[in-house]
Amino acid sequence: MLWKYIMSNNKISIKVGGPAGEGVFTIGLLLSKYFQRAELNVVYTTDYPSLIKGGHNTCSIRAEDEEINAESINHDVLVALDDLTISEDLKYLNEGGVLICNEKSNFESNKFQVFKLPITKLLNGLDKRVSNTIAFGAVIGLMGENGDLFIEAISSHFKKKKQEVIEMNIKAAEVGFQYSREICKKENKGFIGRINKINNPLGKTVFMSGNDAAALGALKAGVKFVGEYPMTPSSSFLSFFAAHELNYNITTKQTEDELAAMNMVIGASVAGVRALTATSGGGFALMNEALGFAGIGETPLVCFECQRAGPSTGVPTYTDQGDLKFVINSSQGEFPLVVLAPGDIEECFYESFEAFNIADKVQTPVVVLLDKHLAASHFTAKKFNTSNLKVDRGKYIPLSEDKLTNYKRYEFTKDGISKRAVPGQEGGIHINSSYEHDETGWTCETAENHILMQQKRFKKLESIPKAKLRPKMFGPEDADLTIVGWGSTKGPVLDAIKYLNKDGFKVNYMHFVYISPMDETGVKLMLESCKNTIILEGNFTAQLRDIIREKTGFYIEKTYLKYDGRPYFFQDIYNKIREILENGGNLK
Amino acid sequence: MNQIKISNEKYTFSLGDFDSGNKSQWCPGCGNFGIVMAIKKAIISLKINPKDVLIVSGIGCSSKTPHYIKTFGIETIHGRALPVASGAKLANKDLHVIVVGGDGDGYGIGIGHFIHAMRRNCNVTYIVHDNQIYGLTKGQTSPTTRKGVKSVSTPNGSVETPVNPMVLSLASGATFIAKGFAGDIQQLSNLIENGIKHRGFSIIDVAQPCVSYNPNMSNSWYKERIVNIEQEENYNPKDKHWAYEIALKDQEEVIPTGIFYQSENDRETYIDDLPEDSIALVKHDITNINIDSELEKYE
Repeated sequence: MLWKYIMSNNKISIKVGGPAGEGVFTIGLLLSKYFQRAELNVVYTTDYPSLIKGGHNTCSIRAEDEEINAESINHDVLVALDDLTISEDLKYLNEGGVLICNEKSNFESNKFQVFKLPITKLLNGLDKRVSNTIAFGAVIGLMGENGDLFIEAISSHFKKKKQEVIEMNIKAAEVGFQYSREICKKENKGFIGRINKINNPLGKTVFMSGNDAAALGALKAGVKFVGEYPMTPSSSFLSFFAAHELNYNITTKQTEDELAAMNMVIGASVAGVRALTATSGGGFALMNEALGFAGIGETPLVCFECQRAGPSTGVPTYTDQGDLKFVINSSQGEFPLVVLAPGDIEECFYESFEAFNIADKVQTPVVVLLDKHLAASHFTAKKFNTSNLKVDRGKYIPLSEDKLTNYKRYEFTKDGISKRAVPGQEGGIHINSSYEHDETGWTCETAENHILMQQKRFKKLESIPKAKLRPKMFGPEDADLTIVGWGSTKGPVLDAIKYLNKDGFKVNYMHFVYISPMDETGVKLMLESCKNTIILEGNFTAQLRDIIREKTGFYIEKTYLKYDGRPYFFQDIYNKIREILENGGNLK
Repeated sequence: MNQIKISNEKYTFSLGDFDSGNKSQWCPGCGNFGIVMAIKKAIISLKINPKDVLIVSGIGCSSKTPHYIKTFGIETIHGRALPVASGAKLANKDLHVIVVGGDGDGYGIGIGHFIHAMRRNCNVTYIVHDNQIYGLTKGQTSPTTRKGVKSVSTPNGSVETPVNPMVLSLASGATFIAKGFAGDIQQLSNLIENGIKHRGFSIIDVAQPCVSYNPNMSNSWYKERIVNIEQEENYNPKDKHWAYEIALKDQEEVIPTGIFYQSENDRETYIDDLPEDSIALVKHDITNINIDSELEKYE
């Protein structure tokens, strides 16, 4: 079986499961930070239902000394905090893999190495709440003797807590660690491969979620106002900016609803600051009317739409890519809207920064589409380079400017973009209206004016460089099959094509970040030069395929769609693509 | 009194400077004309430079107001004037933000924002043109239409109890609550002036005739019912209980006008409560924000 690393050094996949509230994710994050400190590349993902206590939460941690971009469907180690985890997740444990469970569990098996932890005995006076940290220490103990990195991982994870909490957790981890070491010595074996500190060519990495990366991009871009109504999986934007209010002078407002969030952002932007909101599909539906107002009023703003599995409340803590067409076709009437979808945390950071520049330059709303998988999963990446990031506010007139004369807010210009004065500007008085208006902003409903204004607004999109509006290519140029996808599909596809190419199958990946507008001619040429294409999307109706067909006339016949609320697994993609290629390029 | 400081020594603006030159789209005799005049007079009386005024409206007849006063303006979408205005005020607290809209805009589609704006206490002044009817859509009932009133949407008479904006404002924590009449420009201008001066959210509900779709409630109908509460013997706008009593009388046989309630130092405005820098957000330089220390947290 592929990707079974039980006894390989510096390659491992671990799953942790248990009821909500028992610290399942803490174990996962501690392990991830431990691996990050060993300079391995890490992918951390979570799977949980919409509740606060109980239920069944799991997280998966994959760490390797090679570049990785996705979680693994199967694991070398399963940490089961309850019996439900054993019955639900044992099927994903590799044969010969290690099951770590409480000694109270009566589970026995010859197929797996069962490693029972006498939690009650090991606690020995410690707070019951650190049982999960004991399990964490036990996993580390199985991976070798070099245990000092876990102290750093704990200190980093609990850095906002009191010193005694940190110390108690270090003690608990040591207890688990020592226990594992003793058993390894006694039975004279390593249960799993060893983890040794390597020298990662990326240097010091950062480890964070897609939402955090996007929020950092916005922070760098100088966002000053954030209006948001909490909604999974976008809520972390709200807490991120609330936590940065003081140090960065950002007003963060939890609004009464998403209508208020979007409208406040519009007000703040008209008044001259960079502003953002974040939501998921349901909240975005409520923001729709206001988005069109931003379009006609030529108000820049950035909205992060973190998709989850719909329709309606749907499967709210699971991932999906079903909002693409909805977002692209937002609001009544037609107005220029820029829609982009980053695929990993680096794209989240850099494209989030860029989204603000585009919004300001084009003076129109930009929607950044994420999905739960990218929004909440954590990845390691090369530390972001901020030195080349330049804030570009386009034709914005700062309040420090002298008095303007003969100013017209919506003046017709060659590129369709007019100078943007904000309230408080001497000589800049105008109205920003949701009605069709003339160059001054006054309501004007004549046919001639409406035509010119529609042309002006759409003309603005042409100022986005064409090269940006084409997909990125990954993998060999002369591939027999090109996978087409967007957003978070990037991770599992990149891992799948790595192994496919290793095994002699020439496959590459066409990754769409900017989806609307699209360089129609460029995309068509790119697709026509492919030998064979297949589209992968996390939705039922192949929405990007249809958009590509609408814009270019090119029809991607083959699809491999996923609409079960779970992300793609690179193993599934590998098998699917291999099957197609072995079958002469045809789907069975 | 809990009031903001407004000073502008060399004030040279007069009524003509606020004339936008736009031809009115309102019916002759509409109460909106009086309200627009009262707003202009209040701004002049307070010596505010028009470039520092932002008038934000929703959608409806009254929401065309920004077109007829030469200051900065935003004509938003139906029911959303208050969040847009709040966002603008939070971004630039140096602006004087005045919000205008109708009873349908504020007490119907936008009532959620209305309540939250009051409890939030952003320093904006909200003027509601309350004519108890939907005019621009040609005569349907509004949230303040009295029970029994026949309209194109209630040919057999409205069966719903109207919203009482004054009581609602008191219950929602508004810190300045007043009611004026479109036919009394002097009193109304005075109320608006006090509303703008007030630190915190001020709501001024304005009784207004709609000559086209609510002809039964004409100018003279209003005049017969208007009572200036400030001339009452026991007038006490600092007493919330007294204000409730007066507010409960609204929409009955009399229409009380004047300042119902103004709180004294009991609440800071929303911006005063914020921990951020005291410089308006829009005046911060964002060209090179250093986030290195943030990135280090993820190492």
